[in-house]
Amino acid sequence: MKKSKGKDVFIVILASLVALLFLLPLIFMIFTSFKGLGEAMSSSALLPKEWIIDNYRSILGASAEVPVLLWLFNTGVVTLAGTALVVFVDVLAAYSLARLNLPGKKYFLGIVVAALTIPGIVTLFPAFYLFREFNLINTYVPLIVIYSANTLGVFLIYSFLKGFPKDLEEAAVIDGASLWQVLRFVIFPAIKPVVATLAVLTFLTIYNDFLWPSVVTSTDEMKTVTLGVANLVQGANFVNPGRMMAATVVATIPALIIFVAANKYFVKSVMSSGLK
Amino acid sequence: MNKRLIFLGMAGTLILAGCGGGGAADQTEDGKTIITFINGFTGGDGEYMKKITNGFNESQDQYFVEESQEKDHYTKFKTGDYDLLLMHTDNIETYKQDGMIQDMSAVMEEAGISVEDFHPVAAEQVTLEDGVYAIPLDIHPMTMFYNKKLSPEAPETYEALLELTNTLQEQDPNLYATGIPSGGLPEWYMMTLVAQNGIELVEGNHLNFAQDEFADALMVYHDMIFKDKISPPGLGLDGEFQAFMKQVEEGNSAVQTATALTGPWYYQAVKEAYGDDLGIASAPELGDNPGVYGGGHTISLPASVEDEETMAGIAEFISYMYQPENLINWAESGQAPTHLATMEMVEADPEKYPLAAQNIQQFDSFVGAPKVYQFREQKKYMVENVFPQVVGEEGMTKEQLMGELEKATEEARQIAETAPQ
Amino acid sequence: MRISKTWSVLMYLPFLLCFILFLVVPFFYGIYISLHQWSVFGGNGGFVGLDNYTAILTPGNIYSNAFYNGLKNTLVFVAISVVPLVIISLALALLVDSIPSNLKVFFRTVFFISYAVSVTAVSAIFKWLFTGNGGYVNNVFDTFGLNTINWLNDQPSAWIAILIATVWWTIGFNMILFINALDDVDQNLYEAASLDGANSWNKFMHITFPSIKGVFVFLTIITVIASFNLYGQTLLMTAGGPSQSTQTLIMVIQQMVFNQNNLGVASAMAMVMGFVMVIIVAVQYAYSFRKE
Repeated sequence: MKKSKGKDVFIVILASLVALLFLLPLIFMIFTSFKGLGEAMSSSALLPKEWIIDNYRSILGASAEVPVLLWLFNTGVVTLAGTALVVFVDVLAAYSLARLNLPGKKYFLGIVVAALTIPGIVTLFPAFYLFREFNLINTYVPLIVIYSANTLGVFLIYSFLKGFPKDLEEAAVIDGASLWQVLRFVIFPAIKPVVATLAVLTFLTIYNDFLWPSVVTSTDEMKTVTLGVANLVQGANFVNPGRMMAATVVATIPALIIFVAANKYFVKSVMSSGLK
Repeated sequence: MNKRLIFLGMAGTLILAGCGGGGAADQTEDGKTIITFINGFTGGDGEYMKKITNGFNESQDQYFVEESQEKDHYTKFKTGDYDLLLMHTDNIETYKQDGMIQDMSAVMEEAGISVEDFHPVAAEQVTLEDGVYAIPLDIHPMTMFYNKKLSPEAPETYEALLELTNTLQEQDPNLYATGIPSGGLPEWYMMTLVAQNGIELVEGNHLNFAQDEFADALMVYHDMIFKDKISPPGLGLDGEFQAFMKQVEEGNSAVQTATALTGPWYYQAVKEAYGDDLGIASAPELGDNPGVYGGGHTISLPASVEDEETMAGIAEFISYMYQPENLINWAESGQAPTHLATMEMVEADPEKYPLAAQNIQQFDSFVGAPKVYQFREQKKYMVENVFPQVVGEEGMTKEQLMGELEKATEEARQIAETAPQ
Repeated sequence: MRISKTWSVLMYLPFLLCFILFLVVPFFYGIYISLHQWSVFGGNGGFVGLDNYTAILTPGNIYSNAFYNGLKNTLVFVAISVVPLVIISLALALLVDSIPSNLKVFFRTVFFISYAVSVTAVSAIFKWLFTGNGGYVNNVFDTFGLNTINWLNDQPSAWIAILIATVWWTIGFNMILFINALDDVDQNLYEAASLDGANSWNKFMHITFPSIKGVFVFLTIITVIASFNLYGQTLLMTAGGPSQSTQTLIMVIQQMVFNQNNLGVASAMAMVMGFVMVIIVAVQYAYSFRKE
C-alpha cells in the first residue's frame, strides 16, 4: 500500500505519546523506589530529589525485613513446575483428541469446552478445603497443580492440530517411526509456537496469581512474590511507599525479562487462528 | 529410550517439587519439641518478638519455638495448625465461642503467672465468664503524635485543637490541627468517644449503635471537619497518618496536619520523618471525660493443643517470656506491656522507652473492645459505611445519622445471631 | 491412524486426572458444601437443603445484603469496564498495525509490557499515583490549575481509578489478539475497496470488522469474565471503600469464608455468581451470532 511519509510521522508521534503514558506508571514505580520515607510520602514530583538505595538494602540485604528473594525463589519453583505440568498434560491430551483413537472422544471435547465457562471462584474454596483435608496447605503442591485443570491450553493446541495436515505424520509412520518419534520430530516442532504461547500465558498466570496463593499458603516461607508484596501493600506497618515500590520492582523485573524474551512468540500467535 | 526418560524426569521433578514444602514436624533435628507460634507482627515490632523467641530457643535444650509472622495471621491460623496464637483483645470472645481457643488457667499456673500480675484493664479483657482465655501482652491505645514545629505543645482538649487550627490556618490554608480518616482507624475514633462519654454500646449479645448519645458523639467528628476546620475534609484510608507526613508546598493543594491521632505502630515512621521535632502525647479529650480506645495483643492457646509435652513447652516459653528482663524487649519495639513488673521497668527509664512509657499513662483511662461475638463483623457496617458518611458528607444531620445507626445495629444484631449455640 | 486405543487413553489420562481432581471434584464438592451448614473450622454441620441459597437471595439479612452489594458493585464494574477494555485495545491494535514495520515490534512490546506486571504491583503503583492528598496525579492537576480529585475516597472517581489501573494492566493482551487478527485480514480487499473510493471508516466497517468479528466476540466474552473476577485491584487500592462501594463479589465471598468462617454460604454465593456469569456469557454468545 502507498502511505505518505507525513502520515507515518504522525502515527509514530501519536504512538510515542501513548507509549509514554503506558510507561509512566513503571517509571513512577522505579523513581519512587529511590526516594526516602519523607520524600516518598510528601513529595509528588516524579524524580527523587535525593537518590537513596536504602529501600533496596532493607529488602535485599542480609538483615532484610522481608524475604523477597525467598519469595522469588518460590515463585520460580511454582511457575516453572506449573508451566511444565500444564504444557505436558495439555499437549498429550490435545494430540490424543485431535489424532488418536480415543473412545468417547466427542464427549471429552464437549466437556473440555464446557469447563471453560466454569468461573474459577466456584471451585476455588472447595479445592482449598480439599487440599487442607490432605494436609497440603503450605506445600508447593496446591500452588503448582491447580493450574493443570485449565482446559484452555488443550483447546488451543487441539484447534491448531486440527488445521495441521496429517500427511507428514503418516509419512513418518510409514517410514517406521514410533509414536514417540512422531511426537518428538514431527508434531512438537510444528506446534512449538502454540506451545510457547501457552507456556508464556501459563507462566504469567501463575506468576501473577494472587487469590489462590493467598488461600493456600500460610507461612512467610511459602509465599510467592506476588502474594508477599501484596501483603506489604496492605500492611499497616509497612508504611514507606519507597520501600513498597522497591519490593515491587524486585518482584516485577524477572517477569518483565521473561516476558520481553518470550515476546517474539506472540508475533504470530496462533490463538486467533484457532478462534476463527 | 532416553527421550522418554526426559519426560519421566520432568514428571519426577514435579512430584519432588511438590514435596519440597513439607508440613511442620513435631521435633527439630536434634530432638527438641517444636512449639509453633503464629502472630501478625510483620512490621517493625516483629524483630523484637524474634529477640524474645530467639532468646528462649538459645536458653533451651528441650523445646524450640518456631515463630511465624504473618500479615493475615488469623486466616493462616484457620488454614494451618499452630500451638500458640497471637490474639487481639477484640477477638477473644469470638474465638472462645467458636471453640477455637481454650482456657489457659492451667498453663499460666504452670508458668508461674496469674492475671493478678497484669494491669487491671488488661486482666479484665482476657477474663471471660468461665476462665482466662488469653495472656495479656500489651495495650496499644490511640496515640497522639505531634510536629513540634507546627504545634510546640500537645493539644489536650477540643478547645486547644480549635485554637491550634485557627493559628495554622492563618499561616497557610492547607495546614490543619489534625486529620480524621474515613478508612483505617474509624473504629478507634468512634470508640474513643464512646469511652470518653461513658456510652454503653452493648445490648444483650450485640452492639447497639442507635443511641442518641452515640449519635451526638459521632457528630463531634463531623463538626471538627465541617464546622471548626480542625481536620481537612476528604482524608481517606489512613489519611490521618498520610496528612501528618505531608509537607505543604507552594501551589500544591496537599494538606498537612500538625498532629496525628493514630496507632502507635506508626512511631518508627514518624520518628524517621521528624526526629527531635516529634512529640508523643495521650489522646485529647473530645468528650466529657478522659478516655481512650485501642487494641491489645494477647497470647491464646488453640483448642487443638492437647499434647502434654507441647503444653509443658508452652508453659516453659510463657514463663521465660514474662520475665521482665525478657519482656522488656517488647517495650523496646514501642509497645506498652501490661505486665506490672515490666511496666515498672519501662516507667523507670522513659528515655529509653519513650513511646511505651507515654502509652502506659493511658492505661487507667483505657477502655477496650466490648466482649461480643464477632465484634469485628458487628462494627463493620458502622465503620465502613456510616463513619465515612459522618466525616464525608457536609451538612449531614443527626436525624439522617440515626437512620444509618439503626441499620448498623440491625447488621450487628444479625451477626450476633450467627454465634454457635 | 494406526495408534492403539491404549496409547490414546494413556496420553489423555494425565490431563483427565488433573481435570477431574482439580476441577470436577471441587465443583461437585462445592455444590455439596453449599447445601450444608459448613464452618471452615468445625466442618460439616448438617444438611440444610437450599437454606443457604434462600438466605443470600432473600433481601433483608446480612448474607443477602453483602451478596447484593457485591453483585451490584461487580456488575457496575463489568458495565463500565468491558467497552473501554475492548475498544481501547482495538484502537491500539489499529494504531500498531499502521506503524511502519521497523518500529512495530517496539511499540507492540511497550503496549503489552504491563501485562507482565502483577496485580499487586499494579495496585501499589496506582494507589500511590491516585493518592488524594498530594498524590502524583493530583499534583499534575494542580500544575494545570485543575481541581484536585479525592480519587480513591469518592465515587465515581474510585471506579475511574480502578478502571484506569485495570485498562493499563490488561489491555495489552486484548491488543495482541486483535493485532494477530488484523494481520490475517486479506489485504486484497483493501486494495479493491480503495479502487472503489472507500474511505478509512468504510473500510473498517465493511472489511476489517467483519474479518475480526470472531476475535472481537471472544475478547468481549473473556473480558466480561475477567471483570466479574475483579478482586486484587479493589482489595489493594480501595479496600472495598468508599462505603463498601467497591466491595466486589469475590471479596464478599472471601470474607464470608475467612471472617465469618461460613463456607456453606460462601459456596452458595460462588455458585450463584457462577450461574449469573454463565447466563451473561450465554446471552452474549447467542446475541453475537444471532444471524448465523
